[in-house]
Amino acid sequence: METMNPKAILETRNLTKVFPGVIALDDVSLSLNAGEVLGLVGENGAGKSTLMKLLSGVYAPTRGEIYFSGRKAQFRNPKDALDAGISIVYQELNLIPHLSVAENVFINRLPRRGAFVDWAKLYRDTRSILSDSGMDGIDPKAIVADLPIGVKQSVEIAKALSYKAKVLLLDEPTSSLTGPEIENLFSVIRRLREMGIGIIYVSHHLDEIFQVTQRVHVLRDGKTVVVVPTVEADEEFLVSKMVGRDIKNIYYKGQHTPQEVVLQAEGLSDNLLKNVSFKLRKSEVVGVYGLLGSGRTELLKAMVGARPLKKGTVKVRGKVAKLRHPLDAIKTGIVYSSEDRKGENLFFGNPIWKNITYLAIQVGRFTKNGFTLPRQERRAAADFAAKLNVKAPSIDVDVYNLSGGNQQKVCLAKALIEDPEIVLLDEPTRGIDVGAKLEIYRLIADLAAEGRAVVFVSSELPEVIGCADRVYTMSEGRITAELTGDEITEENVLKYCLQVDAAGEATT
Amino acid sequence: MKLSKTLLSSSEFIVFLGLLAIGAFFAFMSPVFMTKFNLLNILLQSSIQGIIAIGMTFVILTAGIDLSVGSVVALSGVLMALMLHGGVPVWLVILINLVFGVAVGLFHGFSITKIGMAPFIVTLATMAMARGLTMVFSDGKTIFDFPPAFEFFGSGNIGPISVAIIIFLLYAFVAEMLLRSTVLGRNIYAVGSNIKAAALSGIRTRWVLYFVYVVSGISCAIAGLVLTGRLGAAMPTAATGYELDAIAAVIIGGASLMGGKGTIIGTIIGVLLIGVINNGMNLLNVPPFWQSFLKGAVIFLAVMIDSLKNKQSEV
Repeated sequence: METMNPKAILETRNLTKVFPGVIALDDVSLSLNAGEVLGLVGENGAGKSTLMKLLSGVYAPTRGEIYFSGRKAQFRNPKDALDAGISIVYQELNLIPHLSVAENVFINRLPRRGAFVDWAKLYRDTRSILSDSGMDGIDPKAIVADLPIGVKQSVEIAKALSYKAKVLLLDEPTSSLTGPEIENLFSVIRRLREMGIGIIYVSHHLDEIFQVTQRVHVLRDGKTVVVVPTVEADEEFLVSKMVGRDIKNIYYKGQHTPQEVVLQAEGLSDNLLKNVSFKLRKSEVVGVYGLLGSGRTELLKAMVGARPLKKGTVKVRGKVAKLRHPLDAIKTGIVYSSEDRKGENLFFGNPIWKNITYLAIQVGRFTKNGFTLPRQERRAAADFAAKLNVKAPSIDVDVYNLSGGNQQKVCLAKALIEDPEIVLLDEPTRGIDVGAKLEIYRLIADLAAEGRAVVFVSSELPEVIGCADRVYTMSEGRITAELTGDEITEENVLKYCLQVDAAGEATT
Repeated sequence: MKLSKTLLSSSEFIVFLGLLAIGAFFAFMSPVFMTKFNLLNILLQSSIQGIIAIGMTFVILTAGIDLSVGSVVALSGVLMALMLHGGVPVWLVILINLVFGVAVGLFHGFSITKIGMAPFIVTLATMAMARGLTMVFSDGKTIFDFPPAFEFFGSGNIGPISVAIIIFLLYAFVAEMLLRSTVLGRNIYAVGSNIKAAALSGIRTRWVLYFVYVVSGISCAIAGLVLTGRLGAAMPTAATGYELDAIAAVIIGGASLMGGKGTIIGTIIGVLLIGVINNGMNLLNVPPFWQSFLKGAVIFLAVMIDSLKNKQSEV
C-alpha cells in the first residue's frame, strides 16, 4: 500500500473524508492502471459516491492524497480535475436536450471564428472523438432530445473524453439502458481501454462488474474491504464482502407449492401488447423478463386497469373481472407497484405513514364515513414499516429523504397493507443496494408462502431465474415463451426475450 | 413537544408571525388600527377575498390554477341581479347561483381532464368569457335595488358580527376539515403531489380534479352573493383582479404552485395579511399608487422567505 504502483495512472493514499457526524470515507487507498477497468462496488452509503466526488474535485479530502500520473494532485474544484484529465459521467445525464450532439460535447468551449461559432470545426472535432471511441454511428448534428437513452449516454461519454481524459469515472452507467445498449457501452469501454484510458466503473449490477472489469475494489462503511482481480471473485464472494456477512443463497425460493389458477389473462391487446395470454397461480412466483420496451410494464398496468385494453379479458378466480381503473383492481385483490418510485409510486413531500396508507384508505381501511382515522393509520403504517425493516428515524420522515432501498420498502408496504391476493411487482429491486435486495427476495418468497400469487418483473436475469417458479419472456409486446423448472436457464430466457416468437410472427 | 416543533417550523406559523409583526407596526403607527370596529372591518373586507381564496387553495393543491374567479364572481352578481329584477324569489336565485358555480367548475374540470387542456389556459379563457358575458348581460351598467332578504348575506348582522364574516369562517372551517380529515382531502393532496402515483394507488384522479374546480366555482358563487349583497349593487367591473390577490394569499399561506402543499389556515392568514396591509396603508394615508407597490413587495418578501427556508431544508 505504501509504495507507489509504477503503472498506476491514478492512485489515492489513505484518502479520508469526514462530514459533520460521519466518516464517509475512511483511509481508502486505491490504484487504477492505464487501460484498466476497476470495478467499485459497495452498498448505498459505503462511500462510493464520496470517493468519486473526491476524485472529480467536487469535494476536498479531509486527509490523504490523490496522485495523478505520478504527481500529487490537488483539485480545488471539478474544473481542476477535468483539466488534469479526470472526467466523470454521472448516473443522471447532464445533456441539454434541444442542442445537437456536437454542441453538447463542446458546450462552454465551442470553437470560434471571430465572434461566431466555427460550426465546421465543431462537427469535425466531434466526429473525430466519436470515431476514436467507436461511436461512429452517432451523427454530431443530431438533436439530443431525439436520441434513444443509450445514445445519449454515449454522447455524455464523448463529452467527458473531449477534455482529453486519461481517467474516466462512470457512475452507474447502465441504470437506464436496455440490453443491447449495455452491450454497446461495453464495446465503447473496451475501445477506451485500448486507448490507454483508465476507467473506474461503479455499479450495483455485479454481472456487469464480471463482464467489464479487471479488478474489483469493494467498499463497506467507508473502508476498503478487499481488492481482488475479477477472475478470482464470484457473486457470493462480492456480496458477502459488501454486506459484511456470509451469504449462502442470494436468491431465495422459499417453501411454497403453486396451487390453483387465480388469475387468467386472455388475448390482451392494446397499441403495444399483442394477444398476450398468461395465468397465475396461488402460492406462485412468476417471473416476467423482457427488455425495456418489451411490454412488461404495460402488461402489468393493463391488468390493473391503468391502461385501456383494446381486446382481451382478465379472469380472477374464474370470473371475468372488469378492471377499468386501478381502484377496481384493488377491490378485486390485485395491486400493482410501479418500477418508477419517484414518478409513479411515492408521494414526495409526504411522510412515510401517509405513503403507506394511501392505497388502503381508498377502499375504506382506516376510515369512517369518509373521514380518515389517523391514529389507526399511523399504528398500522408503523407496524408494516417495522415488518419490512424500513430504516428511518420515524414514520413522520418525508419519503424523499429515504434511501432507494427504504423507499422501495415503503412502496411495497403501500401495496401489501391491504392484504392483496395478487401482487404485481415491477422492478422492485431496481437501483437499490444488495442488502435491501436480499430482503425483497425473501419477502417475495414469503408472499408466495402465505398463499399469494406474485408477479416479479426484473431486468436482472439472475434474480428472475433465482426467485421465480415460472418465467414468461416478453419481446415486442408478446409473450415469447413460458419456462418452468429446469427450462429456466439464462440461455433460454435470453434466447426468447431477444427474438420475436416465430409462431406469433406467423399468425399476424 | 413534537407538535410544537412542527408548528414552529411550519410555513403557516412564520406567515402568522409576519402578520403579527405588520399588525403591531400599524397599531403603533395608528391609534385607530387596534379598535374593535377596525379589526372587524378588516375581517369583513377579507371575507370575500377569503371565500375565493379557499376555492383557489383546493385548485392550487392539485397543481392547478383558476384565473377565472374574479370574472365569475362578477358574472354571478349580475346574473343574480337580473333574476331578482325578473321577480325570481330570493331562495331560488341563491340556488340557481350555486348551480351556476358548479357548472363553471364542471366546465373547467371537463376541459382539463377530458380534453386535456392546461388549467392556466382554460381558466384564462373563461376569465375573458365570463367578464364579457357580465358586460353583455348588464349592458355595462351597475344594477341596484334588491330585496333586503338578499342583501342580508352581504350586509346583515347576527348579533354584533356581520353575516359575511360568519359565512367566511364557516366555509373555512368546513374546507379545513375536508382537506385535513377526509379521504377526499387526502386524495387532493395526493393528486397534487404525484398524479400518476395517485391513479395507481386507486385514486380517481379525474373526479378529484372535477371536484376542486367545482369547489372553486361554488366559492365564486358564494363570494358573488356576499359581494353583491354588501355593495347593494351588481357591478360589471366588480372583483376585477381578485384572482391575483387570491393566488397571492394562497401562496403567502405556504402553498406551492407545484401542488401537494398548503392548508386553509395558511390561506386565511395570507388573506388577513393582505387585508391588514390594505387597511393599514389606508389608515396611514399611503397614496394608492404606493399601496400597490408595497403590497407587491410584501407578497414578494413572504414568498421569498418560504422559498429560502425550503431551499435550506432540501440540501
